[in-house]
Amino acid sequence: MAAPGSSPGTAWQRWSRRLRLPTAVVFLAVLVAWEAVSRRYGPYVLPAPESILTGLAAIVRDGEIWKHTGASLSRIAVGFGGAALMAVLMGLAAFLWAPAKIAVRDVVTILNSTSVFVWIVVSLIWFGLTNMAPIFTTFMITLPVVAANVVEGLESVDRRLLEMGQVYRLSGWEQFRAIVIPSTIPHLVAGLKVGFGLALKVSVVAEIFGVTSGIGYIMNYSREILATQMVFVWAVVMIGIMLVTDRLLFESLTRRLERWR
Amino acid sequence: MKLEVNAVSKRFAIPVLDGISFQAAQGELVCLLGPNGCGKTTLLRIIGGLEAPTAGEVRFDGRPVVVGAADLHVGVVFQEDRLLPWMTLADNVALALRAQGVEARARRETARRHLRFVGLQGFEDYYPNRVSGGMRQRAAIARALAIDPAVLLMDEPFGALDAQNRRIMQAEVRRIWAETARTIVFVTHSIEEAVAIGTTLIMLSARPARVRELIRNDREGGARDPHALIDHLNQVIMEEVLHQQGRAPGP
Repeated sequence: MAAPGSSPGTAWQRWSRRLRLPTAVVFLAVLVAWEAVSRRYGPYVLPAPESILTGLAAIVRDGEIWKHTGASLSRIAVGFGGAALMAVLMGLAAFLWAPAKIAVRDVVTILNSTSVFVWIVVSLIWFGLTNMAPIFTTFMITLPVVAANVVEGLESVDRRLLEMGQVYRLSGWEQFRAIVIPSTIPHLVAGLKVGFGLALKVSVVAEIFGVTSGIGYIMNYSREILATQMVFVWAVVMIGIMLVTDRLLFESLTRRLERWR
Repeated sequence: MKLEVNAVSKRFAIPVLDGISFQAAQGELVCLLGPNGCGKTTLLRIIGGLEAPTAGEVRFDGRPVVVGAADLHVGVVFQEDRLLPWMTLADNVALALRAQGVEARARRETARRHLRFVGLQGFEDYYPNRVSGGMRQRAAIARALAIDPAVLLMDEPFGALDAQNRRIMQAEVRRIWAETARTIVFVTHSIEEAVAIGTTLIMLSARPARVRELIRNDREGGARDPHALIDHLNQVIMEEVLHQQGRAPGP
């Protein structure tokens, strides 16, 4: 065992870290078990690992992947984008006006305790079998998550820095721009990161009902026509979207914003 | 700039300041001393127009200080540096100049000039977290000087520094004071620090604070032997602390 803070271990330990050897071992074990179960129970219950790859190649070739991913992401863009905007407005109201803060807090708490299924059912009643149903569900589920982060960020603004702003006679707007916004942005980005992950998971569930495109729709459709293989393929697509946005979008955004740390 | 403090009193729930009066001529370095919690910082905030007194007034060159007045140019160096961590040192200093209606290029130039003046040449584009605590306080001093303040207020600015940096910064304040001929009001709980840098030492009593002693600490005032002065002040502060404890309300 390497002592913490000393040399970064032996060459073997370094390579094992770089290749993520522990993860690879787990992966391999799962693959072997998967293959075994698949052979025992047949592809309807569990399609073989390699058939996932061929299925993935097929939807890339015929363009299905872009159609359904695009449909899901555009619904997320509207529902989650609207929620992010609304969350910022709620945070601002809470920041500027004390009574609004109490209201915003309570609303966030109540929304946070509401199940996804409530919104799915309600949106089916209100919007029927339309695009609005998954959009509305995504909006209602992600709103409290982002709003809670924005409110927390605005509350964490250092009063001593605001007092410094007063000493140097900065206008309200200048204090807001130079002090309040930069203190809040890391919290906002954290909220957006968690919110986006949630948006992807929730919108897919909501797409099971009533729409004829999107990852949720196509997964459910594949189940109905007994194409278990495609259910797995689309699950892999979802995981891919999540990893890509997390790594490329949010991590680089965080790094850029925290240059000064 | 001549500073007059006329019968300033302040109550919060209890009386904190009780009729404090003193005057400081242009270019004096006034050190406010007193037992912990006696209201030194409150007095400083009233002088700086950050807080209104319950009674009495503060005048700069005969003009009363009004809380929140747009023409109040007071530079404050707080106990903490209060630099914005997401701005470089130069941008932090330049930010303070925004309210003065200075255009951007002149703001940048003034900021750099003042950072050079406090010995931070070459660090203008560093973020605060990348430099030492002493350097951050230097930047905070540069910011306070950059607005060309009527008076420079310093509230235990070196309390968080180690002993060595503290001595270096004390010499630095002395130099800045000598080169700019500013009127400076400096709050400290360290008697050695006050005797080392102040031209006028004001010892406040325990709460509610009154001026217990006002001592000239320069040649014209017939400076005393610093060691004797330190011993004397230590004795006074001890008396005040004991006095306060004796008056503490029982359980």
